[in-house]
Amino acid sequence: MLRILLIDDTEKKVGRLRVALVEAGFEVIEESGLTIDLPTRVETVRPDVILIDTESPGRDVMDQVVLVSRDLPRPIVMFTDEHDPGVMRQAIQAGVSAYIVEGIHARRLQPILDVAMARFESDQALKAQLQARDQQLAERKRIELAKGLLMKMKACDEEQAYTLMRRQAMSRQQKLIQVAEQIIAMSEMLG
Amino acid sequence: MTELSSSPLAWLHGSDAPEKTSLNIGFMALSDCAPLVVAATQGFAQPHGLTLNLRRQSSWAGLRDGLLSGELDAAHCLYGLSYAVHLGIGGVAATPMAVLMGLNHNGQGINLSPALQAQGVTNPEALQHHVHQSRSKLTFAQTFPTGTHAMWLYYWLASQGIHPLRDVDSVVVPPAQMLAHLRAGRIDGFCVGEPWSADAVNQGMGFTLATSQSIWPDHPEKVLGTTRAFVEQYPNSARALVATVLAASRFIEASQENRRATAQLLSAPDYLDTALASIEPRMLGDYEDGLGNRWHDPHGLSLHNAGKANVPYLSDGMWFMTQFRRWGLLREDPDYLGVARQVQQLALYRDAATGLGIDCPLEATRSSQLIDGTVWDGTDPRGYARGFHLHALSDA
Repeated sequence: MLRILLIDDTEKKVGRLRVALVEAGFEVIEESGLTIDLPTRVETVRPDVILIDTESPGRDVMDQVVLVSRDLPRPIVMFTDEHDPGVMRQAIQAGVSAYIVEGIHARRLQPILDVAMARFESDQALKAQLQARDQQLAERKRIELAKGLLMKMKACDEEQAYTLMRRQAMSRQQKLIQVAEQIIAMSEMLG
Repeated sequence: MTELSSSPLAWLHGSDAPEKTSLNIGFMALSDCAPLVVAATQGFAQPHGLTLNLRRQSSWAGLRDGLLSGELDAAHCLYGLSYAVHLGIGGVAATPMAVLMGLNHNGQGINLSPALQAQGVTNPEALQHHVHQSRSKLTFAQTFPTGTHAMWLYYWLASQGIHPLRDVDSVVVPPAQMLAHLRAGRIDGFCVGEPWSADAVNQGMGFTLATSQSIWPDHPEKVLGTTRAFVEQYPNSARALVATVLAASRFIEASQENRRATAQLLSAPDYLDTALASIEPRMLGDYEDGLGNRWHDPHGLSLHNAGKANVPYLSDGMWFMTQFRRWGLLREDPDYLGVARQVQQLALYRDAATGLGIDCPLEATRSSQLIDGTVWDGTDPRGYARGFHLHALSDA
């Protein structure tokens, strides 16, 4: 059963979503308003999905969404009465997986949640790939820097510098990046 | 946000950069995983736009499951494992597989126990005599039911007049556990990849009776394997992966110092977790069999050999199918050439090799002579599979 953290941020606190969710067979943990510390609640409740019901998402709502997306990424679905496309764009940028305007029916909840979760998963996979790519580029730059330093120190060509670094790394059971960092540190120390 | 959204689009569409940049690579603790470990740790992947995350596996069956579930993107594979999964032999549904390149030739061994050694069973004739005279059957271990070690063991036994399925029993034991099973007296011999054959000798636990290269000099062995779905979904990643591993293979064999440094890296806890003395000598071709014989093997473990060890020849893939057929693992002849064409990613390999300036032959097959004198060149797989005196063909 899907565990849903429901944030009711509507003015009248009518709990318009709760009934529909329970009817659809979800486990609902309800919070009233966004005065709570959302990341902390997400950490304790460990929901599969976060639902935010708000008449119009304001700055404070967006900030909490950004924090959750950064530290404890979860699919976030926002139900709102706000039609403004600018607000919608802000919400998506902050990390909302689905933005639903009006019209809440029990029958429509499951497909909405399914889409939100699929979207979330593919976003996460893309993010992981991008992160790996950034790290790859950063490592490559450090290795090239070390190679350049070694070429100067040893008066050797590129190929020889790589071979020396690799042989050193392998005989010490290290990765090339570790030896590159040692060369850079040593060269900094020697000025 | 623009930074984040524009760059993935540029690399997803219309470029030859890898579609998937971070790959999980499975391997088993064996000397012939060297090209993958060196590729992943020594900066060979970054220039090709990849990050390789090494994932050590404890059994070939576990590695196969990881490939099929997608947990592993590619892996150090037995030739016979890729083909068995592709053909649906051995408990899993047939899944189209891909052999991206060869990882090595040679470097496996058949060992016997100290007990057999003490009884003077130290050569093929003595073993044949023992098998045919003794009332109890000997038990041999290999590493996977359709794997290369099962095929080398069967082929070697048969070449000595011992029927591998009738005259002896065989069991599957993961490579790194051979020695423990030998110590416990559960097995009388085994066929395994290095360093585990050398390690048993070093620990005074028996001797090496035959090397795999004595069965077939420069035989196909491990491959870089994946599923066909991976190649179809991420063709650029697949090509970049082949180029990365090929460059690492070339580096390892560029000098004796590089080979030694590779052996040192492999002995680390994260990889083979074994004494350098069990890894290095046979990686350099220096053999000691445990009976006092020492020699330098001209066909020792070969990870590159100017690319000759890496070409995924169609005839190499077909050979394993002929042996599956010979030993009754296949009840009917498959379309040998058709299946090999699907599995062996020869075009992809040629692309990657050409990009690195590595020679790639125009032929898709090669010719070899095996220990029993038969010649295999891929021209008549049906006839070849039927041409053996000892076999388990139901219809022959």
